[in-house]
Amino acid sequence: MPSKERDTSEDEVDRCVTGIEGLDNILNGGIPRGNTVLITGSVGTGKTSLCLEFLVHGALFGENSMYISVTESPEKLLKNIIPYDFFDEKLVRDGRLAFLDIPVIYDRLGLDKPEFDYEEIHILIDAIVGLVKELKVKRLVVDSITSVSYRLKSEEIIREFVLKLGSILSGQGTTTLLVSEISPTGERYSSYGVEEAISDGIIVMGNLERRGDLLRTLQVVKMRGTMHSRAKYVLDLTTTGVLLVPLLKGGSVAGGG
Amino acid sequence: MAARLATRLADLPEGSAVALRLGAENYFDTIRAILDAFAPKKQLDALYVTSTIPSKSILNALEVLEIPLDHIWFVDCISQIMMSSSEKHPHAIYVESPTMLENIMLKVEYLIRRSQGRGIVVIVDSINSLAIHNNTKILSEFLHIMVNNLRSKKAYTLIFSMEQYETEDIRNMMNLVCDETIAVEAEPGG
Repeated sequence: MPSKERDTSEDEVDRCVTGIEGLDNILNGGIPRGNTVLITGSVGTGKTSLCLEFLVHGALFGENSMYISVTESPEKLLKNIIPYDFFDEKLVRDGRLAFLDIPVIYDRLGLDKPEFDYEEIHILIDAIVGLVKELKVKRLVVDSITSVSYRLKSEEIIREFVLKLGSILSGQGTTTLLVSEISPTGERYSSYGVEEAISDGIIVMGNLERRGDLLRTLQVVKMRGTMHSRAKYVLDLTTTGVLLVPLLKGGSVAGGG
Repeated sequence: MAARLATRLADLPEGSAVALRLGAENYFDTIRAILDAFAPKKQLDALYVTSTIPSKSILNALEVLEIPLDHIWFVDCISQIMMSSSEKHPHAIYVESPTMLENIMLKVEYLIRRSQGRGIVVIVDSINSLAIHNNTKILSEFLHIMVNNLRSKKAYTLIFSMEQYETEDIRNMMNLVCDETIAVEAEPGG
């Protein structure tokens, strides 16, 4: 049983309330503020939707929020969030919710090499941190860290990038979600195995096949600084946001998913 | 019969979970009692989970009975598995199969969120048809979680159990999750 002291310290944790009711319940109130969290899963598991909702709620709570996209244009991302019942385009117009296309940053910084080494990585980190400071960003999403990592030469450089970015942003009180793309059969939580070791938290999103039905699932595997459920949940992506219910165990396949 | 059942339901405290034991001959009267008397009287949004017959069939019956649909929504778990190509109704949302019990809970939760603060009654039609597609263990778990979740939201849960198809397992399950069992019977001579 958790001690009274532990409960008290849990109450005192400064949390970034995601606004996704089910996830906040799983996390005992939200992500500890300043954590860098890996959102990992294969295609079609809802990673981008979860991250967008996290940012929209942040903007609605008055926290400046920024989405750094590597693969999709801001226009396309906006189309994904407009159907949300709680989305207000004013958030974008007022600068509470910002979208950034990383290839544009590469161009502006003159980062045109196919592979980055330490020098380029530090230029990129400085640029991101500069924007976070300038725009007073409290919630940041990088979608995806996997795509950024394609340009990084070695595991050491990936480690340097994630660790340094995470630690500077944490110091600013910015809570960061790093999207990681893995294969459906992947045994690791990230493509390079480095990101998962450095992150403060890991949220795994997956597809669970049960007797021919395919269910979208979410599981918080790790979250530093808070107690949390480690059970698997089933999620639905709706216009009212991400909804979560517990995965029923009665019929689940042993070891499945 | 419909008026008597509606009055009985209206006397239940908020958040009640009730097993309604009925015969096939009372099926549409029971639906009418809930959707045309009990729910409007209490100003409830009715969320009708159907795994017995497609929502389209019930909607057609409601149309004949001239029951307004404004506050009635369907979670249809049977149309898609039947591969029926009928057009989608704006008051129905669809779950691929009655085996996707979590998705039934998710759709109910979605409709509750959209209910704009009105009271809720969830009708599960029926435990027997769900039992065709799911084993007792997972079905008990589903009902236990859903009923308790609805209870916490002060929503009523009404679960149909067709007398002809009731088994010992189903009776035990219903006794475990429901506060009360109401045997729906036709009026003598009626």
